[in-house]
Amino acid sequence: MSVEIDIHGVGKIFGQGSAAFQALVDVSLQIRTGEFFTLLGPSGCGKTTLLRLIAGFEHPTSGSLKIAGEEVAGRGPNQRPVNTVFQNYALFPHMTVAQNIGFGLRMQGRPRAEVEATTAEMLALVRMEAMADRRPTEISGGQQQRVALARALAPRPKVLLLDEPLSALDLKLRKEMQSELKRLQSETGITFVFVTHDQEEALTMSDRIAVMSAGRILQLGTPHEIYHAPTGRFVADFIGDTNFIDVTVVSVDGDRAIVTLPGGASRPARLPEGFRPVIGETVTAVVRPEQAQIAPDGGDMAAMLVDSVFFGTDTHLHLRLPDGQPFTLRRQNSGDLPVPSPGATVPISLAPDTLRVLKG
Amino acid sequence: MNHESHGWKWLLCAPALVLLVVAASGPLLIVAVYSFLSQGNMGGVAWEFSLDGWFRVFLTRDIFDPENVSLNAANLQVFWRSIWLSLQTTIICAVLGFPTAWFIATRPPSSRALWLFLITIPFWTNLLIRTFAIQELIRNNGVLNNTLLWISIIDEPINMLFTDFAILLGMAYVFLPLMVLPLYAAMDKMDFRLVEAGYDLYASRVRVLWHVILPLVKPGFIAGSILVFIPSIGSYVTPRVLGGGRTMMLGNLIALQFGQGRNWPLGAALAMVLLIIVTIALVFYLRAVDREGGRPNG
Repeated sequence: MSVEIDIHGVGKIFGQGSAAFQALVDVSLQIRTGEFFTLLGPSGCGKTTLLRLIAGFEHPTSGSLKIAGEEVAGRGPNQRPVNTVFQNYALFPHMTVAQNIGFGLRMQGRPRAEVEATTAEMLALVRMEAMADRRPTEISGGQQQRVALARALAPRPKVLLLDEPLSALDLKLRKEMQSELKRLQSETGITFVFVTHDQEEALTMSDRIAVMSAGRILQLGTPHEIYHAPTGRFVADFIGDTNFIDVTVVSVDGDRAIVTLPGGASRPARLPEGFRPVIGETVTAVVRPEQAQIAPDGGDMAAMLVDSVFFGTDTHLHLRLPDGQPFTLRRQNSGDLPVPSPGATVPISLAPDTLRVLKG
Repeated sequence: MNHESHGWKWLLCAPALVLLVVAASGPLLIVAVYSFLSQGNMGGVAWEFSLDGWFRVFLTRDIFDPENVSLNAANLQVFWRSIWLSLQTTIICAVLGFPTAWFIATRPPSSRALWLFLITIPFWTNLLIRTFAIQELIRNNGVLNNTLLWISIIDEPINMLFTDFAILLGMAYVFLPLMVLPLYAAMDKMDFRLVEAGYDLYASRVRVLWHVILPLVKPGFIAGSILVFIPSIGSYVTPRVLGGGRTMMLGNLIALQFGQGRNWPLGAALAMVLLIIVTIALVFYLRAVDREGGRPNG
């Protein structure tokens, strides 16, 4: 698979002297042609800055940035084969929907016939044919979103950049636009770089995700890898719900270790790549709430039930481990199962191969 | 809400209403009535209906042959000059005001107030004094000519005072803030991400200016133009001080009729014509705003 965007050692500092703020720290990253790539992180983590560097609105303080094999340093946004869908859509209020969509093509100096044909094609692609002559203020938020997509896709960019494009929509519309985005991406074959702080959005839509915090990329991988094999505490905590358990290392063998759980039972746990803890060291391990269940017999640990919350499809049991740490267990309500009463001791078993040790 | 509190609100409006009726509508009505009366002997008006004032605005009778009626070229020329100078002033203010407003709108929010404050400083000084200051700057042995002579750019002073150039300079100087402020307001409302969007969609800087920024700040241009054009066309002090007696504008012509001319009906009719020109300009403005209507910035 070829590389569309090659970011190497990119740093970005805003301001100078004591007011200087380092938005990106030595970011290296390769985005592949045709993939749906997501930059995920809390606000202020540098994801939007990285997107603006690719678009050309900002210029890196250090490092190199290649798009389609060409170094783009010094090139403005109008000289890059990249288009942006802005968070608030940024549709031109003085133009109709069709004029908005055709804007990029007109600025490229394409012949009028081509502009009209492509505009019509794009209107059909986002199912907005009926709204062609409306103004952006005369259509709904979801429709504005579609127009913004069509406008950015019309010049056939190599890469489409999306800056939290769904954050302004209500839940139902957001779900609709998520599948719409996936459809557009597979129909056009264009590389999508998507910025979001919504981990669920990132997990459902992306081919690969880069989790960012404080200007760095903490982990890069498929949604599956990010969810099931977080390497650090931040990623484990940011993506989904997680139980952190302090365990003691008994033995290490390759990428596996035997650890002692609170309560004394020894169980196997996976180690992150390139991490070898010392025997006897206390490390943090994680297990997802749905990977634990109430054991019919002794189980792996015994915990005290603090309270339980009924969510319909499942019930969350908030427990306390023997060493005092909190632990959440998510039980599917496949039948009308009895819930233990608070204060009761509940035996817990962990699904095989789910316990993972975190780096640091 | 009860009746009593409603009455109170009217009472609160009353001083302003009285002032508006007495100070604005009253004199206007008097001027309108005067324009249809006959000329008094020692100035003033005689209470006798006459269309003579209106007649003389546009036409003139031969002194020796009262049957020989022709267009009043002198008055029409003043009309034309007033409109033309005001249009030029508006254009100069727009050309100078746009970059100024842009500069202020792109400063960090904390320093914008200071720049706007600086723009309004000239209003602190009396208009007449500021206009005499310009006279001092541009007269033949004034600061500007002396400097140019001293650095040998010119060999003899350029005659600037008492020309149309002087009037334009003075009016553009006086009315520039009235263009900058509404332009700034329009730019302040503008969503700068639209500029980025234009730039992202392959537009060069010039084309972003032309296709995105100018259409978006158009309401500011329209408001600024009307704020500059209307006082320009009626201005009195600037053409008087900087144009000398030679270049007259409508304001001066009207003042002349009420003063030395002692033809109050003609002065009143000229004032009414000025009012009509301003009204026409305002109608154009309102229609332009209407077309912009329902199209918020950003």
